[in-house]
Amino acid sequence: MKYFSFLLVLAIAVTLAVLVSKPLGPVPPLAPLIDPYHGFWQNMFSEDELMEEELSLPGLSSPVKVIYDENLIPHIFASNKKDLYMAQGYVTAKHRLWQMEFQTRAAAGRLSEIVGDIALDLDRMTRRKGLGYGAELGMEFLKKNDPETLEFLTSYAAGVNHYISQLNPGQTPVEYKILNYQPESWTPYKSLLLLKYMSDMLVGDRDLEYTNLRKILGAKMLDKLYPDFPNELDPVIESEKAWEFDPIPISKPDSINYPDETWKVEPLNQPEEGTGSNNWAVSGSKTKSGKPILANDPHLGLNLPSLWYSLQLTTPEYSVKGASLPGALGIISGFNQNIAWGVTNATKDARDWYRITFQNEDRNAYRYGDEWRPTTFRIEEIKIKDQEAFLDTVVYTHYGPVMYDKNFRSERQDVNFALKWTVHMGSNEQKTFLLLNEAKNHQDYNLALDHFTAPAQNFVFASKSGDIAMRIQGKFALKWPEQGKFFMDGSDPRMEWQDYIPNDQNPQTFNPERGFVASANQHPVAATYPYYVFDNSYEHYRNRRINGKLRQMNEITLEDMKALQFDDFYQQAFDVLPTMLTLLGDGFKENEKAQTYLTQLKEWDFYADPNQKAPTLYHLWWNNLYNHIWKKWDEFGVPVVKPNSYQTIQLLKNEPGSEIFDMEETPEIETAKNHVQKSFQSTMEEMEKLLEENGDYAWANYKNTTVQHLVPQFKAFSVYNVYTGGGAGIVNATSGRHGASWRMIVELGDKPQAFGVYPGGQSGNPGSKYYKNFIPVWAEGNYLQFDLREEADSEGVLFQTTLK
Amino acid sequence: MKFIALTILSVMVVVFVNPFSPFWIVMIGIGVISILIGAKGFSSFLAGGLGMGLAWLGQTIWVSFQTGSALPDQMAEIMGLGSGVFLSMITGILGFLLGGFSAYSGSLFRRMFIKRPDNLYRG
Repeated sequence: MKYFSFLLVLAIAVTLAVLVSKPLGPVPPLAPLIDPYHGFWQNMFSEDELMEEELSLPGLSSPVKVIYDENLIPHIFASNKKDLYMAQGYVTAKHRLWQMEFQTRAAAGRLSEIVGDIALDLDRMTRRKGLGYGAELGMEFLKKNDPETLEFLTSYAAGVNHYISQLNPGQTPVEYKILNYQPESWTPYKSLLLLKYMSDMLVGDRDLEYTNLRKILGAKMLDKLYPDFPNELDPVIESEKAWEFDPIPISKPDSINYPDETWKVEPLNQPEEGTGSNNWAVSGSKTKSGKPILANDPHLGLNLPSLWYSLQLTTPEYSVKGASLPGALGIISGFNQNIAWGVTNATKDARDWYRITFQNEDRNAYRYGDEWRPTTFRIEEIKIKDQEAFLDTVVYTHYGPVMYDKNFRSERQDVNFALKWTVHMGSNEQKTFLLLNEAKNHQDYNLALDHFTAPAQNFVFASKSGDIAMRIQGKFALKWPEQGKFFMDGSDPRMEWQDYIPNDQNPQTFNPERGFVASANQHPVAATYPYYVFDNSYEHYRNRRINGKLRQMNEITLEDMKALQFDDFYQQAFDVLPTMLTLLGDGFKENEKAQTYLTQLKEWDFYADPNQKAPTLYHLWWNNLYNHIWKKWDEFGVPVVKPNSYQTIQLLKNEPGSEIFDMEETPEIETAKNHVQKSFQSTMEEMEKLLEENGDYAWANYKNTTVQHLVPQFKAFSVYNVYTGGGAGIVNATSGRHGASWRMIVELGDKPQAFGVYPGGQSGNPGSKYYKNFIPVWAEGNYLQFDLREEADSEGVLFQTTLK
Repeated sequence: MKFIALTILSVMVVVFVNPFSPFWIVMIGIGVISILIGAKGFSSFLAGGLGMGLAWLGQTIWVSFQTGSALPDQMAEIMGLGSGVFLSMITGILGFLLGGFSAYSGSLFRRMFIKRPDNLYRG
């Protein structure tokens, strides 16, 4: 009996211990999660509460000092670059380990390892796009051409890995505990992968949709509704710019055979609307201080932990500060003692699709001109949590990977198309940023940019010596007109990208007469630029507002630039609302509610401030109107892009009687007026519903700006309903899920004066007080002081640590 | 007396061993101490349970008090468990069960080897 009761109780104790250490389905092991000494309770400490004056980092050649300011922004003082990047890796991992690991796992198509087969399709897609392949080519490129950068990447990885190796269970980021997996070691390859991932986020193409449209509308209508240049063109490089080079001749082959079916398949995911950015620089001639001022605010998904991580990197030679991407070396958008730079996306149809004709079922060869070219096979092994690994074979041609084939989404019509994309070309984007970090002048900036391939960016520049510049840099294919706008036949060598535009012929401008440079994802150049330029997603509003303001402004101060970054002027509403009101006429005269709304709209000053009600009314009405006009585009039954809002507004203003507005299924002939009236009626109905559900229709409430954790299911780690103005197409581009992910303003001078902020916090730990503490500052258009610090500065120090 | 001693010693094991070791080492520790102290079955269960349970609960309260972090409430929301206070209680209850059964096992282990007290009078 004695033995029995002992064994029974022991068995209960052991079973209990085992039970709470094992995951139950999706539920993580309970005990490691809530053990107050190792579980999430330990993640409640903020970084300053865990500070240590000395930490060991083997491999440093001499001690590195890290001084945290009151916002937990590290200022790293190292005696050489190798130590600097090792410390950057260590410190970044300390604050953002889970995020940098998670993002690169997503980029590598390895999410299934963490979450199971629910992510298998996504992982296959990521791999078939060839992001990993691109990063491998990048590694090859570094080994061959740039051992120095590779050494720095290795040093950074060693810093991250040392942090991981001494990480105790208590301080392991809480996401690992909830999702029940462990960090793995960092490699230089992962840093490259992260930069490829940025390309994937920022680049899209509409080849499928344009192929369909061409077939449905015909070339003439296509040109009318989707012109290459808009009426009120205000490009990145000033229109009056004279191009002083001899362009490489290129001509369109005659008698082109486009693959000419209409395609009933879903296009590849596109960058979300609202992804875009602003940057500008004004020369000393326009500023009060006589020194140039530079501003940058990249708009991306609003996420927590934030995409950006701020720091200062200092060696005896230079000191640079700004926003970094956790996982990549150096500062991506920032300034040093001599120059400042910033980036906005400069997409230019960087992806093209070629139809591949295989010789036979084995797909060992494909037709190219008169010959059969051999393919290569790349086997992707996708590990899946709690399951056997999945093997996926991807066929590669000289164009690039074949994304959809008999093994993946074989029901699609567009199987056997190869993806040609600049991401698949060995390149060295990391080098650009390393060189910019220590650049001293315009010449250094240009040399740095020469290394940059993808995703193409508008690099703005200003220097202490008083120069300003803008250069659109990427590896741009030399295309004949309309090349790559539609699907192409891969067996016809004339369809190939023939060559690339030389770097010195990429659009750029230096100290232009107008005294400023600016970009907001609009058309890069005027039609005078000798090469073909096309993209579906160019901006039409923010650019006109920014350039309009900068043209007018003089005696500019830092405060003026802050106000411009936070400018809520709704250019699109300004363009079209008066026309909409005129077209509406007095059809709703008797309707009391309609009159209230119309009065609000008429009295509106066109600013989308958070407390305003008119922007909500306008936004609903415009969306209804737009959808009503282009409803028949949905009825084509195949994916197409609708004409953009700008072209739609042009039609409403200039051709309200156009046959475009007629809906064929009705006996009457509709004009713009009918659409305006019908859509206002729908808006009234929607408003009723909105008022019932929400009670209030102030702009901030309606758009519900959300800063979301990278795992959307972790709602408690996200911030909802941030009270702030702006919106898509507005300079303050804060919409529901997108907006200024980083705002920076720098005035160059003997000592640069800088301000910066981003919607998040330095810590990646949701339990830390530094996780989201910048959000209220950001939401009100305020900034953190971002001046360079000296090692000896003692003001505003949170704590400091010596790494040795 | 043994009850109080075992409770206090269990708390000490948690406080001094748990920061460096996973919970199951703590369980073994409490079991061993229970063997040494030799409290009766059910009373050892209560003592070990209270020791580890209170130490865990206390630690959650102490960390919350020290940091003021909202993480427990957020975790409770993600786990679908109401509030952070409730999560503290669950932590305490789990500690109680783990500690209790460890101490109980220890007590019964000791009973297997200890001769009946009437043997003492025989000699």
